Amino acid sequence: MTKQRRVAVTSPQTSLVIARRRAGVRVDPPHLAPADMDRARRVHREQLRRALGAVAGLAGLIIGLPLALFAFPALDAVRLLGVPVSWLAVAVLPYAVLVLLAGWQLRRAEEAEE
Amino acid sequence: MIVAGIVLVVLATLLIGARGVAAMRSTSDFLVASRRISPALNAAAVSGEYLSAASFLGVAGLVVKDGIGALWYPVGFTAGYLAMLALVAAPMRRTGALTVPDFAEARLGSAGLRRLSAVVVLVIATLYLVPQFKAAGQVLAVVAGTPYWVGVVVAGAAVSITLALGGMRAATYVQAFQFGLKLLLFVVPAIWLVLSVSGETRAAALSPVEFTTFERSTPVDFRLGTELTLTEPTSVAVDDRAPEVLEPGRYVVEGGSRWVFAPGSDVPDVEGAVPPGGEGWSRPLLDPGGAGYPVLATLSILVATVLGTMGLPHILVRFHTSPDGRGARRTAAITVALLSAFYLFPAVYGVLGAVLLPELYLSGGTDTVVVSLPARVDGGITGTLFTALLTAGAFAAFLATSLGLLLALSGAVSHDLLPGTTLRRLRLTSLGAAALVVALALPAVHLDVGVLVTSAFAVAASTFCPLLVLGIWWAGLTARGAAVGMIVGLLASAGVIGVDLTLGSPDGLASILLGQPALWSVPLAFATMVLVSLRGRPPAWAAAAMLRLHLDETHRTT
Repeated sequence: MTKQRRVAVTSPQTSLVIARRRAGVRVDPPHLAPADMDRARRVHREQLRRALGAVAGLAGLIIGLPLALFAFPALDAVRLLGVPVSWLAVAVLPYAVLVLLAGWQLRRAEEAEE
Repeated sequence: MIVAGIVLVVLATLLIGARGVAAMRSTSDFLVASRRISPALNAAAVSGEYLSAASFLGVAGLVVKDGIGALWYPVGFTAGYLAMLALVAAPMRRTGALTVPDFAEARLGSAGLRRLSAVVVLVIATLYLVPQFKAAGQVLAVVAGTPYWVGVVVAGAAVSITLALGGMRAATYVQAFQFGLKLLLFVVPAIWLVLSVSGETRAAALSPVEFTTFERSTPVDFRLGTELTLTEPTSVAVDDRAPEVLEPGRYVVEGGSRWVFAPGSDVPDVEGAVPPGGEGWSRPLLDPGGAGYPVLATLSILVATVLGTMGLPHILVRFHTSPDGRGARRTAAITVALLSAFYLFPAVYGVLGAVLLPELYLSGGTDTVVVSLPARVDGGITGTLFTALLTAGAFAAFLATSLGLLLALSGAVSHDLLPGTTLRRLRLTSLGAAALVVALALPAVHLDVGVLVTSAFAVAASTFCPLLVLGIWWAGLTARGAAVGMIVGLLASAGVIGVDLTLGSPDGLASILLGQPALWSVPLAFATMVLVSLRGRPPAWAAAAMLRLHLDETHRTT
């Protein structure tokens, strides 16, 4: 393997910033071509709508489940395979819901880009 | 044997790190890696970086100490990646920004905001590092029988040597390997534990009763001075002396002493601690210290962990290794699944620990429950073997997270706060940061791990979460609004927690509002950012700067 010169690892953005600071010049502000701009507006609105859907699902889980467990202490006494249902509701159930929500949101977000 | 296990982990990490770095040295390892790393591999790397000593040891310890409700912590840790998937992953990747300071400058064009973000990175990384070092120090102290400070210093030395030798540098393969290792070293011992305890113990673990009587001759190692209240005449052998009967009353236990309680005697009371197995303990809501507001406490932890994950500096860097926004999004989704698999298991250690080692709560040593369980279940060679495996896993977790955080921390200092960067300076900064964290971790042994871990998340959730979410989705955000909002969020979260830690926690509702402020500090930071931004006017290019983050790379014409 040939020896190659080592290069400092920086993100493009960081290198931009460093270059700007050294040279004291202002980099062009970000811009988009008009066609891209229209498309970006549509995608942004659609993605926001879909992201808020996933966030609502997440909020339902992490706010609703503690409230439900608080409201129904009887779940502590109900057992499934010997384990209290209210324990399963914290130790297992949220992960299943999270994985499903993640898959659902991933598919929807990718569809919005088609 | 246990020491050999730890050395093996460090060596393996170094070796893979060295090979990974050699293989990716051609240009920048990030940029080269970014063309080949698949989302699944990258998700393993994210999980490897994320699963810290606090996850490996702390969650099970909190279950023993605070009860089943502590299992909400890992739920929040995992759910954070769903929030990231929905709100941050793809657009953040498209900015090309590696860190939040980069993002702040790229999106809002303010160098001042960049420096402010770098200061927040320092606060978050330090708050996150201290409990890691504390856990590593405690584990080394338990398995090697040394004082706590030796453990912390050894942990600090291990990190510094690894850093100085250049191990783990940003290599995706190392972190992916670390995830596999940690998963294996956590899951296999858990299965062994469940299979090798008696059926009686399994039944007792699922139907806990309050720990009120010592069922066997129980040694308790007090690493810290504690006050105990004996409720009946109790036979105790202190430091290998002959047992003597102590009258009921308050006793001051010196740090470093060992009390052996006779079987059948009542468990003494410890102020501010609830014995495992009681009614409050079995409830699936968090109520630390019995403050009486379980729903508020649980929601506060969840808000902090879910929204704080997207602001963790060592995690955001990892998403840059994805080739594009779509890859970053897939990485986040797969990470949810990988973490879900890992976090099914802390509960096993927690509920077994509450039955087999409930006395840990007396000495405040619940963080060591994971590594103490194998020896309690099997006194022979098998138990020692599993202790070694778990210790090695805990140390791997500690190394992975600490190195990532130290690099993020020193990157913030040398990139964003000081002009000009050299590799040498980066390395020196990280060594200095390691020394600082060791110095902070030494007195931190008195602090609650739960509070420390959540405080890092609470600060991230009150500062970077509103910056990222509003910056990505709202063109109206101004640099001034972002700066004021972040300062308010930082003061409301870190400031309040600092007051809480130094002046001591008040009682009841105030203890939750001060100790776990996320429930009000996050909305406050969001509201401040929005209101201050609305009073100003964003620059003309703000809409383009925000919209281009949502444009799929393949569809862009420019």
